[in-house]
Amino acid sequence: MVRVRDLSKAFGGNPVLEGVDLTVLEGTVTALIGPSGAGKSTLLRCMNLLERPDAGEIEIGSHRIDARSRFSKRQLYALRRETGMVFQHFNLFPHMSVMRNVVLPQQRILGRSKAEAEHRAQELLARMGLADKGGQYPNKCSGGQQQRIAIARALALEPRVMLFDEPTSALDPEVGAEVLEVMKELAAEGMTMIVVTHEMGFARNVCEDLVVMADGGIIEQGDPQRIMGDPSHPRTRSFLHAVLQR
Amino acid sequence: MLHAVLTGIPLTLGVTAAALIIGTLVSLPLLACTLSGNRLLWLGARMVIDLLRGVPIVVWLFIFYYGVTLGSAKLSAFGAAVLGLGLVSGAYLAEIFRGAVSSVSAGQFEAGRALGMTSRGLWADIIAPQAWRVALPGYTTYGIGLLKDSSIASTIGVAEMVFQAGNFARTTGNGIVVFLLAAAVYILVSVPVGILSRRVDERMSAVVAR
Repeated sequence: MVRVRDLSKAFGGNPVLEGVDLTVLEGTVTALIGPSGAGKSTLLRCMNLLERPDAGEIEIGSHRIDARSRFSKRQLYALRRETGMVFQHFNLFPHMSVMRNVVLPQQRILGRSKAEAEHRAQELLARMGLADKGGQYPNKCSGGQQQRIAIARALALEPRVMLFDEPTSALDPEVGAEVLEVMKELAAEGMTMIVVTHEMGFARNVCEDLVVMADGGIIEQGDPQRIMGDPSHPRTRSFLHAVLQR
Repeated sequence: MLHAVLTGIPLTLGVTAAALIIGTLVSLPLLACTLSGNRLLWLGARMVIDLLRGVPIVVWLFIFYYGVTLGSAKLSAFGAAVLGLGLVSGAYLAEIFRGAVSSVSAGQFEAGRALGMTSRGLWADIIAPQAWRVALPGYTTYGIGLLKDSSIASTIGVAEMVFQAGNFARTTGNGIVVFLLAAAVYILVSVPVGILSRRVDERMSAVVAR
Protein backbone atom coordinates (compact mmCIF):
# COMPACT_ATOMS: atom_id res chain seq x y z
CA MET A 1 0.00 0.00 0.00
CA VAL A 2 1.11 3.53 -0.73
CA ARG A 3 -0.11 6.23 1.57
CA VAL A 4 0.57 9.94 1.49
CA ARG A 5 -0.61 12.01 4.39
CA ASP A 6 -0.98 15.76 4.62
CA LEU A 7 1.81 16.34 2.13
CA SER A 8 2.91 19.90 1.46
CA LYS A 9 5.59 21.28 -0.80
CA ALA A 10 6.46 24.78 -1.89
CA PHE A 11 9.01 25.95 -4.43
CA GLY A 12 10.52 29.27 -3.45
CA GLY A 13 7.48 30.31 -1.46
CA ASN A 14 4.99 29.11 -4.08
CA PRO A 15 2.90 26.29 -2.66
CA VAL A 16 2.72 23.42 -5.14
CA LEU A 17 1.11 20.84 -2.87
CA GLU A 18 -1.06 21.74 0.06
CA GLY A 19 -2.01 19.03 2.51
CA VAL A 20 -2.48 16.21 0.02
CA ASP A 21 -3.81 12.86 1.27
CA LEU A 22 -3.79 9.85 -0.99
CA THR A 23 -4.00 6.13 -0.49
CA VAL A 24 -3.24 3.66 -3.24
CA LEU A 25 -4.10 0.02 -2.63
CA GLU A 26 -1.81 -2.85 -3.50
CA GLY A 27 -2.40 -4.11 -7.01
CA THR A 28 -4.37 -1.13 -8.22
CA VAL A 29 -3.67 1.40 -10.94
CA THR A 30 -4.25 5.04 -10.14
CA ALA A 31 -4.24 7.85 -12.68
CA LEU A 32 -3.30 11.36 -11.63
CA ILE A 33 -4.80 13.91 -13.99
CA GLY A 34 -5.37 17.62 -13.95
CA PRO A 35 -4.24 20.84 -15.57
CA SER A 36 -0.53 21.61 -15.74
CA GLY A 37 0.72 23.22 -12.57
CA ALA A 38 -1.74 21.19 -10.50
CA GLY A 39 1.11 19.43 -8.68
CA LYS A 40 0.69 15.94 -10.17
CA SER A 41 4.35 15.39 -11.02
CA THR A 42 5.49 16.96 -7.77
CA LEU A 43 3.23 14.62 -5.81
CA LEU A 44 4.67 11.65 -7.69
CA ARG A 45 8.24 12.86 -7.20
CA CYS A 46 7.64 13.33 -3.50
CA MET A 47 6.66 9.67 -3.20
CA ASN A 48 10.22 8.53 -3.89
CA LEU A 49 11.70 11.69 -2.41
CA LEU A 50 13.15 13.05 -5.62
CA GLU A 51 11.50 16.12 -4.17
CA ARG A 52 11.73 16.54 -0.45
CA PRO A 53 8.30 17.50 0.87
CA ASP A 54 8.12 20.33 3.39
CA ALA A 55 5.67 18.47 5.54
CA GLY A 56 3.69 15.26 5.58
CA GLU A 57 4.22 11.56 5.60
CA ILE A 58 4.96 8.99 2.93
CA GLU A 59 4.38 5.35 3.57
CA ILE A 60 5.19 2.62 1.10
CA GLY A 61 4.90 -0.96 2.27
CA SER A 62 6.55 -1.11 5.66
CA HIS A 63 8.62 2.02 5.11
CA ARG A 64 7.48 5.33 6.40
CA ILE A 65 9.13 8.73 6.22
CA ASP A 66 7.97 11.84 7.98
CA ALA A 67 9.17 14.88 6.06
CA ARG A 68 9.37 17.01 9.17
CA SER A 69 11.64 14.72 11.12
CA ARG A 70 15.13 13.68 10.17
CA PHE A 71 15.58 10.42 8.35
CA SER A 72 18.67 8.48 7.52
CA LYS A 73 20.12 7.77 4.10
CA ARG A 74 19.31 4.15 4.78
CA GLN A 75 15.63 4.96 5.23
CA LEU A 76 15.70 7.02 2.07
CA TYR A 77 17.23 4.20 0.03
CA ALA A 78 14.86 1.68 1.60
CA LEU A 79 11.89 3.76 0.51
CA ARG A 80 13.25 4.26 -2.98
CA ARG A 81 13.87 0.57 -3.29
CA GLU A 82 10.11 0.04 -3.02
CA THR A 83 9.48 2.30 -5.99
CA GLY A 84 10.35 2.25 -9.64
CA MET A 85 10.03 5.40 -11.70
CA VAL A 86 9.51 6.03 -15.38
CA PHE A 87 10.14 9.54 -16.68
CA GLN A 88 8.70 11.54 -19.53
CA HIS A 89 12.10 11.74 -21.19
CA PHE A 90 13.15 8.14 -20.40
CA ASN A 91 16.48 9.16 -18.86
CA LEU A 92 18.32 6.07 -20.00
CA PHE A 93 22.06 6.14 -19.41
CA PRO A 94 23.45 7.10 -22.83
CA HIS A 95 26.96 5.80 -22.18
CA MET A 96 25.84 2.23 -21.58
CA SER A 97 24.34 -0.43 -23.78
CA VAL A 98 20.68 -1.21 -23.34
CA MET A 99 21.63 -4.42 -21.53
CA ARG A 100 23.96 -2.60 -19.17
CA ASN A 101 21.26 -0.01 -18.43
CA VAL A 102 19.11 -2.80 -17.06
CA VAL A 103 21.93 -4.85 -15.52
CA LEU A 104 23.96 -2.24 -13.65
CA PRO A 105 21.23 -1.07 -11.24
CA GLN A 106 20.50 -4.68 -10.30
CA GLN A 107 24.17 -5.25 -9.50
CA ARG A 108 24.54 -2.02 -7.56
CA ILE A 109 21.25 -1.92 -5.72
CA LEU A 110 20.22 -5.54 -5.30
CA GLY A 111 23.75 -6.96 -5.30
CA ARG A 112 22.86 -9.46 -7.97
CA SER A 113 25.61 -11.25 -9.81
CA LYS A 114 26.25 -10.26 -13.41
CA ALA A 115 24.88 -13.53 -14.74
CA GLU A 116 21.77 -13.30 -12.60
CA ALA A 117 21.18 -9.67 -13.56
CA GLU A 118 21.69 -10.39 -17.24
CA HIS A 119 19.28 -13.28 -17.10
CA ARG A 120 16.63 -11.06 -15.50
CA ALA A 121 17.34 -8.22 -17.92
CA GLN A 122 17.01 -10.48 -20.94
CA GLU A 123 13.73 -11.79 -19.59
CA LEU A 124 12.34 -8.29 -19.12
CA LEU A 125 13.61 -6.97 -22.44
CA ALA A 126 11.97 -9.94 -24.17
CA ARG A 127 8.74 -9.13 -22.39
CA MET A 128 8.99 -5.57 -23.68
CA GLY A 129 9.45 -6.92 -27.20
CA LEU A 130 13.09 -5.83 -27.21
CA ALA A 131 14.90 -9.14 -26.91
CA ASP A 132 17.34 -8.22 -29.68
CA LYS A 133 18.17 -4.71 -28.43
CA GLY A 134 20.49 -5.56 -25.56
CA GLY A 135 23.68 -4.75 -27.45
CA GLN A 136 22.46 -1.43 -28.82
CA TYR A 137 23.05 1.97 -27.30
CA PRO A 138 19.93 3.88 -26.24
CA ASN A 139 20.37 6.60 -28.86
CA LYS A 140 19.98 3.97 -31.57
CA CYS A 141 16.53 3.08 -30.24
CA SER A 142 13.26 4.84 -30.97
CA GLY A 143 11.49 6.82 -28.28
CA GLY A 144 8.96 4.07 -27.70
CA GLN A 145 11.72 1.51 -27.39
CA GLN A 146 13.65 3.72 -25.01
CA GLN A 147 10.63 4.11 -22.79
CA ARG A 148 10.08 0.35 -22.69
CA ILE A 149 13.75 -0.13 -21.83
CA ALA A 150 13.28 2.38 -19.02
CA ILE A 151 10.31 0.36 -17.78
CA ALA A 152 12.41 -2.81 -17.89
CA ARG A 153 15.20 -1.05 -15.99
CA ALA A 154 12.80 -0.04 -13.23
CA LEU A 155 11.06 -3.43 -13.10
CA ALA A 156 14.37 -5.24 -12.81
CA LEU A 157 14.67 -3.93 -9.26
CA GLU A 158 11.37 -5.61 -8.30
CA PRO A 159 9.64 -2.50 -7.00
CA ARG A 160 6.45 -2.68 -4.99
CA VAL A 161 4.97 0.26 -6.83
CA MET A 162 5.70 1.81 -10.22
CA LEU A 163 5.51 5.58 -10.62
CA PHE A 164 4.96 6.84 -14.16
CA ASP A 165 5.51 10.54 -14.82
CA GLU A 166 3.79 11.32 -18.12
CA PRO A 167 5.39 8.28 -19.76
CA THR A 168 3.92 8.91 -23.21
CA SER A 169 3.94 12.71 -23.37
CA ALA A 170 7.19 12.85 -25.33
CA LEU A 171 6.07 10.20 -27.82
CA ASP A 172 4.04 10.18 -31.03
CA PRO A 173 0.57 8.79 -30.39
CA GLU A 174 1.15 5.45 -32.09
CA VAL A 175 4.47 4.96 -30.36
CA GLY A 176 2.87 5.97 -27.10
CA ALA A 177 0.30 3.25 -27.71
CA GLU A 178 3.07 0.60 -27.59
CA VAL A 179 4.12 1.90 -24.20
CA LEU A 180 0.55 2.03 -22.95
CA GLU A 181 0.09 -1.56 -24.09
CA VAL A 182 3.05 -2.64 -21.96
CA MET A 183 1.67 -0.71 -19.00
CA LYS A 184 -1.70 -2.34 -19.48
CA GLU A 185 -0.08 -5.78 -19.33
CA LEU A 186 1.75 -4.79 -16.16
CA ALA A 187 -1.53 -3.65 -14.64
CA ALA A 188 -3.14 -6.94 -15.58
CA GLU A 189 -0.36 -8.75 -13.75
CA GLY A 190 -1.26 -6.89 -10.60
CA MET A 191 1.51 -4.31 -10.44
CA THR A 192 0.64 -1.34 -8.26
CA MET A 193 0.95 1.72 -10.47
CA ILE A 194 0.53 5.45 -10.10
CA VAL A 195 0.42 7.22 -13.43
CA VAL A 196 0.53 10.92 -14.14
CA THR A 197 -1.01 11.10 -17.57
CA HIS A 198 -2.98 12.99 -20.15
CA GLU A 199 -4.09 9.73 -21.79
CA MET A 200 -7.76 9.78 -20.92
CA GLY A 201 -8.41 6.45 -22.63
CA PHE A 202 -5.82 4.77 -20.45
CA ALA A 203 -7.16 6.48 -17.34
CA ARG A 204 -10.68 5.39 -18.13
CA ASN A 205 -10.07 1.83 -19.28
CA VAL A 206 -7.07 0.63 -17.32
CA CYS A 207 -7.09 2.55 -14.06
CA GLU A 208 -9.17 1.55 -11.06
CA ASP A 209 -8.87 4.92 -9.43
CA LEU A 210 -8.84 8.39 -10.88
CA VAL A 211 -7.39 11.31 -8.96
CA VAL A 212 -8.07 14.78 -10.27
CA MET A 213 -5.74 17.49 -9.06
CA ALA A 214 -5.86 21.26 -9.35
CA ASP A 215 -3.99 24.05 -7.59
CA GLY A 216 -1.93 21.80 -5.37
CA GLY A 217 -4.73 19.63 -4.08
CA ILE A 218 -6.93 16.69 -4.96
CA ILE A 219 -10.33 17.95 -5.99
CA GLU A 220 -11.94 14.69 -6.93
CA GLN A 221 -11.16 11.02 -6.61
CA GLY A 222 -12.95 7.82 -7.49
CA ASP A 223 -14.02 5.46 -10.22
CA PRO A 224 -12.69 6.77 -13.56
CA GLN A 225 -15.83 5.89 -15.51
CA ARG A 226 -18.03 7.70 -13.02
CA ILE A 227 -15.88 10.82 -12.81
CA MET A 228 -15.45 11.08 -16.53
CA GLY A 229 -19.12 10.49 -17.10
CA ASP A 230 -20.34 12.75 -14.36
CA PRO A 231 -17.70 14.97 -12.78
CA SER A 232 -18.89 16.63 -9.64
CA HIS A 233 -16.32 19.41 -9.34
CA PRO A 234 -16.59 22.33 -11.79
CA ARG A 235 -12.79 22.31 -12.24
CA THR A 236 -12.92 18.64 -13.19
CA ARG A 237 -15.69 19.36 -15.62
CA SER A 238 -13.84 22.18 -17.36
CA PHE A 239 -10.59 20.20 -17.41
CA LEU A 240 -12.20 17.08 -18.89
CA HIS A 241 -14.08 19.22 -21.34
CA ALA A 242 -10.86 20.86 -22.50
CA VAL A 243 -8.96 17.57 -22.75
CA LEU A 244 -11.68 15.57 -24.46
CA GLN A 245 -12.31 18.34 -26.98
CA ARG A 246 -8.85 17.89 -28.44
CA MET B 1 72.65 23.46 -30.11
CA LEU B 2 70.43 20.46 -30.57
CA HIS B 3 71.97 19.12 -27.44
CA ALA B 4 70.91 22.17 -25.43
CA VAL B 5 67.30 21.78 -26.49
CA LEU B 6 67.28 18.04 -26.00
CA THR B 7 68.63 18.26 -22.45
CA GLY B 8 65.73 20.58 -21.60
CA ILE B 9 63.02 18.24 -22.86
CA PRO B 10 62.82 15.90 -19.83
CA LEU B 11 62.22 18.80 -17.45
CA THR B 12 59.68 20.41 -19.79
CA LEU B 13 57.74 17.18 -19.95
CA GLY B 14 58.32 16.47 -16.26
CA VAL B 15 57.04 19.84 -15.07
CA THR B 16 54.03 19.54 -17.38
CA ALA B 17 53.14 16.01 -16.32
CA ALA B 18 53.65 16.62 -12.62
CA ALA B 19 51.64 19.86 -12.72
CA LEU B 20 48.85 18.17 -14.66
CA ILE B 21 48.66 15.37 -12.12
CA ILE B 22 48.67 17.78 -9.19
CA GLY B 23 46.16 19.99 -10.99
CA THR B 24 43.82 17.08 -11.58
CA LEU B 25 44.08 16.00 -7.96
CA VAL B 26 43.50 19.55 -6.72
CA SER B 27 40.58 20.15 -9.10
CA LEU B 28 38.50 17.28 -7.73
CA PRO B 29 38.00 18.58 -4.17
CA LEU B 30 37.43 22.07 -5.59
CA LEU B 31 34.83 20.61 -7.94
CA ALA B 32 33.23 18.67 -5.10
CA CYS B 33 32.96 21.85 -3.05
CA THR B 34 31.42 23.88 -5.85
CA LEU B 35 28.86 21.13 -6.47
CA SER B 36 28.21 20.26 -2.83
CA GLY B 37 25.26 22.58 -2.45
CA ASN B 38 26.82 23.83 0.78
CA ARG B 39 27.15 27.61 0.58
CA LEU B 40 30.26 27.83 2.72
CA LEU B 41 32.12 25.16 0.79
CA TRP B 42 31.00 26.74 -2.45
CA LEU B 43 32.20 30.16 -1.35
CA GLY B 44 35.52 28.77 -0.15
CA ALA B 45 36.15 26.93 -3.41
CA ARG B 46 35.13 29.95 -5.48
CA MET B 47 37.56 32.14 -3.58
CA VAL B 48 40.41 29.67 -4.03
CA ILE B 49 39.65 29.30 -7.74
CA ASP B 50 39.41 33.04 -8.34
CA LEU B 51 42.53 33.71 -6.31
CA LEU B 52 44.56 31.10 -8.22
CA ARG B 53 43.33 32.30 -11.58
CA GLY B 54 43.55 35.98 -10.75
CA VAL B 55 47.33 36.11 -10.36
CA PRO B 56 49.72 35.55 -13.27
CA ILE B 57 51.42 32.17 -13.17
CA VAL B 58 54.86 33.73 -13.17
CA VAL B 59 53.98 35.61 -9.98
CA TRP B 60 52.80 32.43 -8.32
CA LEU B 61 56.03 30.71 -9.24
CA PHE B 62 58.10 33.46 -7.64
CA ILE B 63 55.86 33.42 -4.56
CA PHE B 64 56.31 29.69 -4.16
CA TYR B 65 59.97 29.83 -5.02
CA TYR B 66 60.82 32.52 -2.49
CA GLY B 67 58.00 32.01 -0.05
CA VAL B 68 57.57 28.34 0.68
CA THR B 69 59.98 26.77 3.08
CA LEU B 70 59.95 23.19 4.22
CA GLY B 71 61.50 23.36 7.66
CA SER B 72 64.73 25.20 7.00
CA ALA B 73 64.95 24.10 3.38
CA LYS B 74 63.53 26.20 0.60
CA LEU B 75 61.39 24.61 -2.05
CA SER B 76 63.51 23.71 -5.09
CA ALA B 77 62.88 25.55 -8.32
CA PHE B 78 61.36 22.39 -9.77
CA GLY B 79 59.16 21.96 -6.71
CA ALA B 80 57.98 25.55 -6.81
CA ALA B 81 57.23 25.32 -10.52
CA VAL B 82 55.27 22.09 -10.17
CA LEU B 83 53.39 23.37 -7.13
CA GLY B 84 52.54 26.73 -8.69
CA LEU B 85 51.55 25.37 -12.08
CA GLY B 86 49.72 22.49 -10.43
CA LEU B 87 47.59 24.67 -8.16
CA VAL B 88 46.70 27.09 -10.93
CA SER B 89 45.86 24.12 -13.16
CA GLY B 90 43.64 22.78 -10.41
CA ALA B 91 41.59 25.97 -10.50
CA TYR B 92 41.20 25.92 -14.29
CA LEU B 93 40.50 22.20 -14.45
CA ALA B 94 37.86 22.50 -11.71
CA GLU B 95 36.07 24.95 -13.98
CA ILE B 96 36.41 22.68 -17.01
CA PHE B 97 35.04 19.74 -15.03
CA ARG B 98 32.24 21.81 -13.54
CA GLY B 99 31.10 22.80 -17.02
CA ALA B 100 31.20 19.17 -18.08
CA VAL B 101 29.17 18.02 -15.09
CA SER B 102 26.55 20.67 -15.68
CA SER B 103 26.21 19.43 -19.26
CA VAL B 104 24.94 16.10 -17.93
CA SER B 105 21.18 16.43 -17.87
CA ALA B 106 19.30 16.64 -14.59
CA GLY B 107 17.37 13.59 -15.75
CA GLN B 108 20.48 11.45 -15.34
CA PHE B 109 20.78 12.41 -11.68
CA GLU B 110 17.07 11.80 -11.20
CA ALA B 111 17.12 8.43 -12.90
CA GLY B 112 20.03 7.28 -10.76
CA ARG B 113 18.42 8.51 -7.56
CA ALA B 114 15.04 7.06 -8.44
CA LEU B 115 16.71 3.69 -8.98
CA GLY B 116 18.05 3.96 -5.45
CA MET B 117 21.71 4.51 -6.25
CA THR B 118 23.90 5.95 -3.52
CA SER B 119 25.44 9.29 -4.38
CA ARG B 120 28.85 7.67 -4.68
CA GLY B 121 27.50 5.08 -7.11
CA LEU B 122 25.61 7.72 -9.02
CA TRP B 123 28.78 9.76 -9.54
CA ALA B 124 31.01 6.80 -10.30
CA ASP B 125 28.72 4.94 -12.68
CA ILE B 126 26.53 7.60 -14.24
CA ILE B 127 27.75 11.17 -13.96
CA ALA B 128 31.55 10.97 -14.09
CA PRO B 129 31.76 8.77 -17.21
CA GLN B 130 29.43 11.10 -19.09
CA ALA B 131 31.07 14.28 -17.81
CA TRP B 132 34.53 12.92 -18.63
CA ARG B 133 33.58 12.55 -22.27
CA VAL B 134 32.51 16.17 -22.38
CA ALA B 135 35.56 17.35 -20.44
CA LEU B 136 38.16 15.48 -22.48
CA PRO B 137 38.64 18.02 -25.31
CA GLY B 138 38.91 20.88 -22.82
CA TYR B 139 41.22 18.82 -20.65
CA THR B 140 43.63 18.08 -23.50
CA THR B 141 43.52 21.67 -24.67
CA TYR B 142 44.44 22.69 -21.16
CA GLY B 143 47.19 20.09 -21.05
CA ILE B 144 48.69 21.44 -24.26
CA GLY B 145 48.47 24.95 -22.85
CA LEU B 146 50.22 23.74 -19.74
CA LEU B 147 53.03 22.24 -21.81
CA LYS B 148 53.68 25.70 -23.18
CA ASP B 149 53.18 27.40 -19.81
CA SER B 150 55.80 25.09 -18.31
CA SER B 151 58.30 27.37 -20.02
CA ILE B 152 57.49 29.94 -17.35
CA ALA B 153 59.42 27.69 -14.96
CA SER B 154 62.56 28.95 -16.71
CA THR B 155 62.07 32.27 -14.91
CA ILE B 156 62.84 30.68 -11.56
CA GLY B 157 65.72 28.69 -12.97
CA VAL B 158 64.22 25.32 -13.82
CA ALA B 159 66.53 24.03 -16.53
CA GLU B 160 63.81 23.09 -18.96
CA MET B 161 63.89 23.64 -22.68
CA VAL B 162 63.46 27.41 -22.81
CA PHE B 163 65.99 27.87 -20.02
CA GLN B 164 68.51 25.77 -21.92
CA ALA B 165 67.81 27.56 -25.17
CA GLY B 166 68.25 30.91 -23.44
CA ASN B 167 71.53 29.84 -21.94
CA PHE B 168 72.74 28.63 -25.30
CA ALA B 169 71.71 31.91 -26.96
CA ARG B 170 73.45 34.00 -24.33
CA THR B 171 76.68 32.05 -24.38
CA THR B 172 76.94 31.66 -28.16
CA GLY B 173 75.13 34.78 -29.29
CA ASN B 174 73.16 32.57 -31.63
CA GLY B 175 69.52 32.74 -30.53
CA ILE B 176 67.19 32.43 -33.43
CA VAL B 177 67.86 28.85 -34.47
CA VAL B 178 67.87 27.39 -30.99
CA PHE B 179 64.52 29.00 -30.18
CA LEU B 180 63.08 27.86 -33.50
CA LEU B 181 64.22 24.40 -32.56
CA ALA B 182 62.49 24.70 -29.18
CA ALA B 183 59.34 25.89 -30.94
CA ALA B 184 59.46 22.83 -33.17
CA VAL B 185 59.66 20.53 -30.16
CA TYR B 186 56.57 22.16 -28.60
CA ILE B 187 54.67 21.63 -31.84
CA LEU B 188 55.97 18.11 -32.23
CA VAL B 189 54.56 17.19 -28.83
CA SER B 190 51.31 19.16 -28.84
CA VAL B 191 50.00 18.42 -32.31
CA PRO B 192 49.92 14.62 -31.93
CA VAL B 193 48.28 14.97 -28.51
CA GLY B 194 45.61 17.15 -30.05
CA ILE B 195 45.05 14.70 -32.90
CA LEU B 196 44.84 11.78 -30.51
CA SER B 197 42.31 13.62 -28.36
CA ARG B 198 40.13 14.42 -31.36
CA ARG B 199 40.27 10.77 -32.43
CA VAL B 200 39.18 9.55 -29.03
CA ASP B 201 36.46 12.18 -28.89
CA GLU B 202 35.11 11.19 -32.30
CA ARG B 203 35.14 7.54 -31.43
CA MET B 204 33.29 8.10 -28.17
CA SER B 205 30.65 10.34 -29.66
CA ALA B 206 30.14 7.92 -32.55
CA VAL B 207 29.12 5.26 -30.05
CA VAL B 208 27.15 7.51 -27.74
CA ALA B 209 25.65 10.49 -29.49
CA ARG B 210 23.59 12.47 -27.07
